[in-house]
Amino acid sequence: MRRAEIWVSVAFALLGVIVIADSIRLGFMWGMSGPESGFFPFYLGVGVVISSLFVFFNAFTRYRKEGAGKPLMPPGALKPILWVLIPSAAMVVITELVGLHIAAALFLAFYMRVVGKIGWATTLLVGIISPLLLYVTFDKLFLIPLPQGLWGGYLLRF
Amino acid sequence: MVENINNLMVGLHVVFQPYNLMIIAVGLVLGIIVGVLPGLGGANGVAILIPVVVTMQPTSGIILLSMIYWGALYGGSITSILFNIPGEPWAVAATFDGYPMAKKGRPGKALVLSFLAHGVGALFGCIVLTFFSPILAEFALKFGPAEVFAVMMLTFSAFVGLGGKSPLKTVVAILFGFILASVGMDIVSGQLRMTYGTIVLMGGFNFIVAVIGLFGLGEIFLTVEEGLKVEGISTKIGLKDIWEGVKDVIRYPKALITGTLVGVWMGFKPGGATPASFMAYGFTKQSSANAAEFGTGVSPGIIAPEAAAHGAGTSAMIPMITLGIPGSPTMAVIMGGLMIFGLQPGPMLFKENVDFVWGLIASTWAGNIMGFFLVLAFAPIFASVLKVRFAIFMPLIIYVCAIGAYAVNNRVIDIYYMLIFGVLGYLFKKLDYPIAPMVLALVLGDMAESAMRQALIIGHGSPLVFFTLPLALPLMVAAILIFFWPVIAPLKAKMFGKKA
Repeated sequence: MRRAEIWVSVAFALLGVIVIADSIRLGFMWGMSGPESGFFPFYLGVGVVISSLFVFFNAFTRYRKEGAGKPLMPPGALKPILWVLIPSAAMVVITELVGLHIAAALFLAFYMRVVGKIGWATTLLVGIISPLLLYVTFDKLFLIPLPQGLWGGYLLRF
Repeated sequence: MVENINNLMVGLHVVFQPYNLMIIAVGLVLGIIVGVLPGLGGANGVAILIPVVVTMQPTSGIILLSMIYWGALYGGSITSILFNIPGEPWAVAATFDGYPMAKKGRPGKALVLSFLAHGVGALFGCIVLTFFSPILAEFALKFGPAEVFAVMMLTFSAFVGLGGKSPLKTVVAILFGFILASVGMDIVSGQLRMTYGTIVLMGGFNFIVAVIGLFGLGEIFLTVEEGLKVEGISTKIGLKDIWEGVKDVIRYPKALITGTLVGVWMGFKPGGATPASFMAYGFTKQSSANAAEFGTGVSPGIIAPEAAAHGAGTSAMIPMITLGIPGSPTMAVIMGGLMIFGLQPGPMLFKENVDFVWGLIASTWAGNIMGFFLVLAFAPIFASVLKVRFAIFMPLIIYVCAIGAYAVNNRVIDIYYMLIFGVLGYLFKKLDYPIAPMVLALVLGDMAESAMRQALIIGHGSPLVFFTLPLALPLMVAAILIFFWPVIAPLKAKMFGKKA
């Protein structure tokens, strides 16, 4: 936990530095018509750097004194989280190819069947009906077009 | 006073049109389901519906969005009490005494107590909303850019100084939110900022996408990590439960009043329902004669946090419609809906869109009252939603969230952002960085920046402009005092300690 704390504070400080760099490029002083573009972000960057350094310092001294402390995640927690994260990311990637509804149908089926160990009948039922329902509601009823991807338009033709 | 009641009547006239009544009922039912499901919170429920709502009339659309919130406020506690699974963050405090009472064999009474407390908190919030917001709006009409910026400073200082969590991390979270808001086109000069030559960053970050990721996926990761075990307590709400619930609410007026007041205050000063419920629980426990019994299923332990949660929820509307500063993350998303309709939240709303404002206020009354009877009658049915296996509704929630994230701007990249924000939300929760102030900073970023820049132009570049205007000065002083409160409070204690 404390190690993660240190890393996150360092990441915030770095982000602050990046923001300051861009603000300096844009100009953070008083321009022709009031404050320049980088004025507000510059001070945000400075603030983030200063306060995250404080967080870093606090975490670091506690780390030195009390050791690493509890791990960020309880043992065995990473696996189920990755089992959610990776398939969802895969869903988005597939969305670019075949559109959101078909990608979601695959995602639903995969998660229910492989991760959730749910029976085939339920898997197929939910995996087909819910995307169909949402497709009709959004694309047809409310006329909100959802991404079709490269080939989705050919696959869903009604 | 009389004028307000007249306006409220006009609003009720709008609300009682059959179409709007239907919207209210649909919104409440959806909201309660959103509330029951862990991982799908009020903020998310609202965010996902925004694309649908855009196709409606503004008043009906915003009524629908707010109904999701009222429904979710009621619904979150049902599963807290029956399954020990808070459906919403603000229902966590309801598990402390609600679940033990249910386990002891009185689930019906626990539910009735919770709903009654919710109802009272909501009604008090409505009263304050109806009679106080016009006054505040009238006052806020005098605000210029310097004052607007000062009010925002005060808001964010309140998170830092009174938030309770690590003040430093709160500062980091707020600044991070502001930084995200400034990515993309500079609203004043049109220059591109923080895009580093990439095209994807040019569009900036939409806060609705961030909300869906932070509150939706982040919650799901947390739920997955802990593992969700539904140990159902089946229940029916009988007349005896209602009678005893009413009796207990009257018997513990202190818990009810503490909860309501803490709630309305926390909602008003942008804290939100979640901290309000914890604070109210803490206060009531401390001041109780039998504090040791808290946690075993005592009535005041249910009444106080529940009244606070709903009081905070309803009063969170006050700063949103009068000042344009949402009082809770869910309210921030509702405000996003307002802006999509071209309604600029703030004092002018009361002058320019009278029908809309009073329709919304009247619907808050109607929705909260109807919601009370809905949950009272159908709580067991709503609870059974959770009997659906987690592995079925969880991917469905992610799917719906993806639709919501995409539909905000019709960009696939936003779905990726949603996933990233989900991981961020998980990390933030784990490491105690508060999410609510960050979201608020992302929402208010553009407004805060333009207010600050305009004020500085008025003051010819001198930051003294914030301290010389008669209305801005007290706000800024209060903001600075509250900001440094975590440092001042121990100092004060020390000084007075030595004197004594």
